[in-house]
Order: sequence, then C-alpha cells, then structure tokens
Amino acid sequence: MTDLGKVIDVDVHNEQNDADLVPYLPEPWRSRVARSGVGYSYSGYYSPVGVMRRDALPPGGGKAGSDPDLIIRQLIEPYNVEYAVLTGVVYNISTTHDPDFAAAICSAYNDYLIAEWLGKHPAFKGAMAVATQDPQLAAREIDRIGGHPDIVEVIISSAARAPLGQRQFHPIYEAAERNGLPVALHPGAEGAGSATAPTAAGYPTWYIEWHTCLSQMFMAHLVSMVCEGVFEKFPRLKVVLVEGGMAWLPHLMWRLDKNYKALRSQVPWLKKLPSQYIREHCYLSTQPVEEPDNPQHLVDLLNMVDAENMLLYSSDYPHWDFDPPTVLKRMSPEARRKVMYENARQLYRL
Amino acid sequence: MAVHYVLEEKDVPEGGRVIVNVQGREIGVYRIGGLFYALYNYCPHQGAPLCEGIVCGTTMPSDVYAYEYGRAGEIVRCPWHGWEFDIKTGRSLVSGRIRARSYPVELRDGKIGIVMKG
Repeated sequence: MTDLGKVIDVDVHNEQNDADLVPYLPEPWRSRVARSGVGYSYSGYYSPVGVMRRDALPPGGGKAGSDPDLIIRQLIEPYNVEYAVLTGVVYNISTTHDPDFAAAICSAYNDYLIAEWLGKHPAFKGAMAVATQDPQLAAREIDRIGGHPDIVEVIISSAARAPLGQRQFHPIYEAAERNGLPVALHPGAEGAGSATAPTAAGYPTWYIEWHTCLSQMFMAHLVSMVCEGVFEKFPRLKVVLVEGGMAWLPHLMWRLDKNYKALRSQVPWLKKLPSQYIREHCYLSTQPVEEPDNPQHLVDLLNMVDAENMLLYSSDYPHWDFDPPTVLKRMSPEARRKVMYENARQLYRL
Repeated sequence: MAVHYVLEEKDVPEGGRVIVNVQGREIGVYRIGGLFYALYNYCPHQGAPLCEGIVCGTTMPSDVYAYEYGRAGEIVRCPWHGWEFDIKTGRSLVSGRIRARSYPVELRDGKIGIVMKG
C-alpha cells in the first residue's frame, strides 16, 4: 500500500471508557460519572451491522478505537497516514440536557486527550470537543485548551437545538477564530435528547433512513452559517463538515446563489455570492464517499464546483462505514494529492 | 488447475470458518450442512478482509412490512460495511454483478482441497 502517497486522515475516532474520564473531572461530576457513567443520549436508531468495524475490536478487549497500538497497526502504518486528527466521540454530549455537565465532560475529555493520546504517536493530532448547549462555556474552554500545539481543531456535534449559524452560537466561532482553529461539525446523535429531529421531515423509521438523511443536517447548518453572516463576522474562521456527504454541494451552491440574487435584501450583510463564502471558508470530509455505478460521475460532479480545493480525506476509522485512502481514484493526480494531503496540511498548519 | 490440500475436514466444525493461506492468498473455508466452501478473504467493494465478518442468516425478499428470516449460517457480512454475500456462491445479495471470489473444494481422504489456477 505504499503507492498511495502521503495521507492526512481528518476523522479518526479514538474511544475511551467512561471511567477513563473520572480522574479528569472535578466534583460534583466526578462522583456522578464514577457512579453512573457519562450517560450520553443516543438517536435510538439500530444498525444491523453495528457501528464499529468488526475487525477493529482490540484482541485484548475494550472498545474499537480504544487501543492506540491497534490504530497504529491497522490504520496509520498500512496506509502511510502522516497525520490523523483524533475526533473522539464526546461531541455527542451536546444532545444532553444539562449545559454545565456537558461542558465538564468536554473539559475532562480534552485534558484526557492531551494527557493520554496525543503523545502516543507523532501522527496523532487532536480535535478538542466543546458542547453547544452553552456557547459561552464552550468559548471559555477553547481559550483554555486551544493553544496546545497538538490541538488542531474544535469539534462540535451537528446534532443541535437550532441551525448552527444562529447568533447564540457565535461565541464558539469567535473563540475558534481567536485561537486559529477550524471548527468541525460531526454527526452521530441526530434526533437524540434535546436535538432537533434527525431529518427535515421528522423521525424516520430505520437507521438506513437516518444515516442517509444526515446530509440534510449539514445542508441546513451550512445555509444557516452563510446567511447568518458567520463568515462576515469571523473572516478568518474555517469550518469542516465531517461525514455529511459531498455530492449535494453543487446543488446547494447553485440553489443558494440563485436565491441570493432575488432575496439578497434579507441578508444585506453578505458581500459575496453564498457559494463564494463556502469556497473560502468551508471544507467537506470525503467519507462516506458516494458510490454511483459509474465512479466518474462523482468526480464530474465534484469538478463542477472545484471541490478539489474543499475536500479533506477522512477514513472514519473504526466505524462501520470506513473508507480507506484508495477512494476517489478517478480524480486527477494533482487534485487527489490536494484531497488526500495538501488541503489538510494547510488547513491544520501541519 | 491445482488442488491445494490445506486442512483436515475435522479442522472446520459445522458452522465454522478457518482462514488459510494458499500460495500467498488468504482463503476462508466454511462448513455448511456438512459441505465445504472456500471464499477469497477480500471484499470486492473496498478490499476488506471479508472472511473476518460474521456468519449469519438474513431477511429474505418479502412483502412490505413482512419479515422472513432465512439462509441461517449461509451468509457472511463484510466486517467493514456489512455487505452480505452468499458463502456458497460468493454472490452479493444486492447485485448479481458483485461477487466475492469463490473456489471449488475437493475432498480426499479426510482432507479439504482448494482448487486454484496454478
């Protein structure tokens, strides 16, 4: 597999047991988690194939993604991954109800991530988690942790109480910009707890529907961020849409630009076409890559919006819908080099 | 064609699976209803180690909201993306055009032979 060229993987899920966070929690949260666990709220959708790659379970026991050595053996070494952004799963806490508890869990996780993961391998870089229930607390956490040299990103859940461009969330973007960190949105808890319904039409019946419709959530958040002027207010902010799909991007850009031409007066703070803000500020991770019968069709679609400058390769290891860095082979070698490596190297200043 | 005798019949219990290396190629050997089947340990989708997936049954094509469970022990699910393959033929349950490579098996004197080119 050495012919793949250099790779940066922007979505690798390290996992931990709830008990691992206990030493990093202050009271009263410490005794609560020691006694009852973190208590995430889940979407409630059952996957018949599970959520984990079955061959990623550590032979010595524990959760998939919990053993750094196995991640190195199964992902970092065989695929020549120069850097892997460890995204964890703790962003999912944003669908629970208590903002102080959610913020405390994120702080404990961030300290745990720095202490117990980031030094384990030179490829490991960290996405610090913040909860969106109280954006002021999130901003304080970004200022506390964001300067660590191995923290390259702030990650939040795409499952939220409202479209993420709205003004109540701006303290998160302001703090991320201040600390020179991109903000990543990641799905997983859509429809859980106090989050909105997981699709625009409400609650579907099965996981296959839930998973397919995750793209809707990203489309809604992206339109919100552009229209609410997030990128005018925070001109140095970068946003990474992780695991939300890619092929909808031309549709969204074309439709939003068309509407802007007629409806601009509603959002007069926008100085450019909406698609221009997206091109300048947003990145999309590649996994799970869309798979048309003719693989060229996806590349043609992406080429229509010069997506080679906005895409970041991601594997989603160790989750069931993992993509190895052999995807998108039809892209031109130069475009592929950007997507597999160069775009992420520049974005994360690696 | 060459027959590579790689296992004893008793090495693969009913419902079991053993992965062997034949001339540098990993092959999963399965025993279903007393018969033996061999699949290449490589998923045609993205190259995952297919034979490390669970052996299971599945829901058969049925009327809307009807569930007919069948093929128990005859399906392998890829450990990455969960694609289902018929162990006996290597065919994907979704499309006849998608197949995992399967090999004929010959038995002799209690030994399992895998028939391969060369």
